[in-house]
Amino acid sequence: MERFDAALRSARALGRPVVVPYLMVDRRRRSGLAGVVDALARGGASALELGFPFSDPIADGPTLEAAAGRALDHGTRWSDLLDQVRVAGARLPTAVMTYANPVLYRGLRSGMKSLRRAGAGALIVPDLSFEEAGPWIHAAHSADLALVLFAAPAISPRRVEHIARRSRGFLYLVSRYGTTGRERPAGSADLAPLVRASHRAAPELPVLVGFGVRDRASAVQALASGADGVIVGSALEERLELRPRTTQIVRFIRTIASARGTPPAGVARPRRARRP
Amino acid sequence: MPRRYGPYGGAFVPETLVPALVELERTWTEARADPAFRAELTLLSRTLGGRPTPLYFARNLTRRAGGAEIWLKREDLVHGGAHKFNNALGQGLLARRMGKPRLIAETGAGQHGVATASIGAALGLETEVYMGEVDMARQRPNVERMRLLGAKVHPVTTGSRTLKDAINAALRDWIANVRTTHYLLGSAVGPHPFPSLVADFQSVIGREILRQSRQSFGALPDLAVACVGGGSNAIGTFRPMLRTKVALLGIEAGGPRGGSRGAASLSHGRPGVLHGAYTYVLQNREGQVADTESVSAGLDYAGVGPEHAWLRDSGRVTYRAVHDDGALTAFRWLAEEEGILPALEPAHAIYAAVGEARRRSGRERVVVTLSGRGDKDLEVVLGALRRGA
Ligand SMILES: Cc1ncc(COP(=O)(O)O)c(C=O)c1O
Repeated sequence: MERFDAALRSARALGRPVVVPYLMVDRRRRSGLAGVVDALARGGASALELGFPFSDPIADGPTLEAAAGRALDHGTRWSDLLDQVRVAGARLPTAVMTYANPVLYRGLRSGMKSLRRAGAGALIVPDLSFEEAGPWIHAAHSADLALVLFAAPAISPRRVEHIARRSRGFLYLVSRYGTTGRERPAGSADLAPLVRASHRAAPELPVLVGFGVRDRASAVQALASGADGVIVGSALEERLELRPRTTQIVRFIRTIASARGTPPAGVARPRRARRP
Repeated sequence: MPRRYGPYGGAFVPETLVPALVELERTWTEARADPAFRAELTLLSRTLGGRPTPLYFARNLTRRAGGAEIWLKREDLVHGGAHKFNNALGQGLLARRMGKPRLIAETGAGQHGVATASIGAALGLETEVYMGEVDMARQRPNVERMRLLGAKVHPVTTGSRTLKDAINAALRDWIANVRTTHYLLGSAVGPHPFPSLVADFQSVIGREILRQSRQSFGALPDLAVACVGGGSNAIGTFRPMLRTKVALLGIEAGGPRGGSRGAASLSHGRPGVLHGAYTYVLQNREGQVADTESVSAGLDYAGVGPEHAWLRDSGRVTYRAVHDDGALTAFRWLAEEEGILPALEPAHAIYAAVGEARRRSGRERVVVTLSGRGDKDLEVVLGALRRGA
């Protein structure tokens, strides 16, 4: 958890956007994993999200839903997740993202402890609303795992403040109304007030925008809200399906890592908190 | 409204849906205290829905069983052909009250889709229904009905292509369009407040049974039986009876005989989170939701409403599974003995009720909720008969 937090904070302290790519754990991709993670690191990723597939991924759009389906068809199991966390975690600070049920199935405490032992620094659960998070927060605390909570345009800045105070690792800010992936949002949401609310309530906590960040332009737009970084999932998954060369992965992440937000006129960049 | 039933229930959903769930609960809390809303709900239940539905003494079936009297609560006579109307009407009125111009729904057997489509038409709300491809094929008449009623039907081609996947698709639509859309969930499942809300709208079934039992035989039933898919007709039947002495029996789909767990989440599942609720879920050894099997699309679901999960654990309700062949047998019994074609879903409950009646004395009464009519199932039943079931 220390290492995970520190990695995100140091990127932030350097004034670079924190870039966190998302990879679906798939048993068939095991042999190529180290190479991909190295490429992501070289491209400028600060940390990594490893997604453990769930049969009913309601927050995911077609790309990641299909990727999860393939991974399950390939026989991907929790033991594969732990194995891949070990591989990835040796190269980049690693968070695990999965739905509530696969964790609950193992028991909150033992599920989280197994992730921690494998080297994961954080856990991200997209169907965990703040109302249900209590027992998870406690279990994560005792497992020394950062439980990353979500905010979204649908909720009020006040609620974001409450969530930011309890979130660890970072705050996952969903960019829009919709699922992960390519589809254009129904309307562009103004994320700036939500980012401000989080920074106000938890100055040390990075805010990362995810869902629909797929290239430099969308990264610039996300960062313009004052967010500290972005999460790139479906767009990377689409590229990996095409079996890219390592250099292509490096370049893809680099274009996103080089994005800078241009804050809207009259809005000061939020204060950069440093570790004391 | 209870958020939990024992440890079960809750709202495991993306943050994006939280405000809509809060708004829904608030709207229902206000509406139920509003005499004008209640008056409209009652009036439309009667004049559009055909309520109250009769409680029918199945004399020939009783003779065939040779024991307790069997009475049928005729939800098959509700507008649209199933109990699903009760909930669709209530939530449709709430959607209008919230100013949401668009309804979405999932459907398995197609009955909830039909109910939502007719309510959408009657209230002037745009309606889109998600339905698994497998279910579209086996419940084709209902697909045509939905379309004629003006709804758009979206085939769902992911996963097992049945009810579970239709709910996934509807939830994703709702996440994207939650500001303009009400998700008219069709069973007592999903995140809070849906299980409570749906049970409230379906409880009219149990209330009428209690009143009609007193009128018809001057006593409460000894046993009430209902089929359990997500559990809405069953909770509607049971809830008003929870504090009475009536024995309660919920019947899940056992699927094909021989090894399969069917769709019997209470009998063979374990607690987990599916579609926003902590409840019994059929899952594999990895915590992935299992594929289900049942001759009836409406019961073919890996989860179950959280209130049933609690009623199971607390022992107030007994749950058992009936296999496909039992449902097909009961379908024929009811057709031949009473001239009624039941939907395959309640045919599971009929089969169990006949077995129960057999073991009870002629002084006892068993009430079965006949949750829907069987027109939609002719193809499936005829196919099974041809194969010699
Ligand atoms: C006639 C009928 N009965 C029962 C069900 C099962 O649903 P529930 O358990 O919510 O009553 C369905 C679902 O489609 C149905 O069409």
